[in-house]
Amino acid sequence: MVMTNLATRQMPVSGYGTRQAVGAELTKLRSIRSTGRTLFATVAGTLLVTILATNSFHHHGRGLARGFDSTNQSLTGMAIGSLAIGVLGVLMITGEYSSGTIRSSLAATPRRPLFLGAKVAVIGAISLVVGEILTFACFFTGRAILSGRAPVASLGQPGVLRAVLLTGAFLALLGMFGLGLGVIIRNTAGAIAAYVGVVFLLPVLLQTLNGDGNPGRFAPLAILANSVAAVVPQSGQLPATTGFLFMALYCALALGIGVAVLGRRDA
Amino acid sequence: MFIAAAIPYLGPMIVVEGLTKRYGRTVAVDHLSFEVTPGVVTGFLGPNGSGKSTTMRMIMGLDNPTSGWARVNGTTYAELRWPLREVGALLDAKSFHPARSAYDHLRFLAKSNDIPRARIDEVLEIVGLSEVAGQRAGKYSLGMGQRLGIASALLGDPGVLLFDEPINGLDPEGIRWARYLLRDLAAEGRTVFVSSHLINEMSLTAERLVVIGRGSLIAETSVSEFAARASLDAVRLVTPMTALFLAALDDAGAVTRMEDDGAITATGLSAAQIGDLATDRCLTVHELSPLRGSLEDAFMELTHSAVEFEAHSHSVS
Repeated sequence: MVMTNLATRQMPVSGYGTRQAVGAELTKLRSIRSTGRTLFATVAGTLLVTILATNSFHHHGRGLARGFDSTNQSLTGMAIGSLAIGVLGVLMITGEYSSGTIRSSLAATPRRPLFLGAKVAVIGAISLVVGEILTFACFFTGRAILSGRAPVASLGQPGVLRAVLLTGAFLALLGMFGLGLGVIIRNTAGAIAAYVGVVFLLPVLLQTLNGDGNPGRFAPLAILANSVAAVVPQSGQLPATTGFLFMALYCALALGIGVAVLGRRDA
Repeated sequence: MFIAAAIPYLGPMIVVEGLTKRYGRTVAVDHLSFEVTPGVVTGFLGPNGSGKSTTMRMIMGLDNPTSGWARVNGTTYAELRWPLREVGALLDAKSFHPARSAYDHLRFLAKSNDIPRARIDEVLEIVGLSEVAGQRAGKYSLGMGQRLGIASALLGDPGVLLFDEPINGLDPEGIRWARYLLRDLAAEGRTVFVSSHLINEMSLTAERLVVIGRGSLIAETSVSEFAARASLDAVRLVTPMTALFLAALDDAGAVTRMEDDGAITATGLSAAQIGDLATDRCLTVHELSPLRGSLEDAFMELTHSAVEFEAHSHSVS
């Protein structure tokens, strides 16, 4: 006998659901070495850039302008974190397509919205936790380097805690945005290129247009750097909450298109 | 609350009805209808590119049919409550991540369907991968990859199993092992549906056959019926002493038939036996040659027109 007696087998009536799908996604993510490497790159790269940015400011920052935003300066490194976390989101699904795992996955979890929902939950939760830890680490690292040389903010001052918390949460949006692009494009290189294009190059591109109303401010990295991570409101930029909601909208758009095409396409 | 999963049911476990898949103007599967019943191995036979894999992917809900439907356990695959515990499938040689170990691959599958962890070790043992389960699957040979695929299919202890070309990449010992495994699974009352382009392999493994060519059903039959269609081993004989030889062959129990060119086609005796008969009876033989009729021939004959049409349509496009 290869397996158990068919007639005596028992199964719970309810069937698989969110718990099973999320458990599978967590196992998948944990069992691939590139996950740890990407997260390490996220943390190391972010902190390194924050250290460099705040340190160089200390050296060349003579004649400080009034309204210097030490929090914003400390969170500079999050640009690198944005890249790494997006790549993690992309790889979560494009790795399945390139390896063929997608067929195993969908055979195990055939309800595709649930399958994608579990991935969204997992990348969202992980990048939120990593994002918050990172922003607080950046904030305190930057403050330590800047203190004594420039006026530094404390978490108790108005708008500071908001900027730090929202910047961490912004990383979760970017992780999910990367996942959404990955679902739509399926190919790793293509999806990463699209992510870099939208998040990093779009602000530059829109800035050159120099159109009325500063269209560059609607681009993801501009929202992160000038709105969400800013304690001092910057002129011509979106308010922090509005910027955050715009990014949430991009994210929802990418995932919405993603779930629609995933349901229709052959695996 | 628990219920017994296997309600005694003897009808077909896989039902395919009018299943059609078009890619642009190419028709991969064309109004295909058949049923697969439990308890026996059913071979899914057809030349390469005849639509076997596409059909299996549609049964698994991975590819959407252009029209028609496929049901497993009386429902569409997407509606199964515990997919892996009801249907197991080996679809491609590669459906795992090269950076993930075999054990972790099985572990995420087990998690997705609440399959106890102990079952992972069991299936690794069954397919003989226990020793290398911790290695990255990317290092596996084609045969080991195939064994991991079979382990994935068995993981949920399902009543319905689909195997797409399972012996691809297996060594001769592995092929024999897979053959016995498939038969054992069927003998346990499971529904076993296994595709192959090799009729001789199927004749050793399967009892029933679903034969397709160019996406269409050619035959839904049993292997023995299919073999009966193949011309039996015959011997061609040319002799100047036709009447005497016919009588001698008749005495020896052979069935004979006269051909247009004056040759005798005899069945029921081997060429060697007919040679001996000629010597015993002092009969002159001008030509004596065995005619090989085989399952392969029957298969080729059945699928010939389909393959020819396909080749033709390719040359036009």
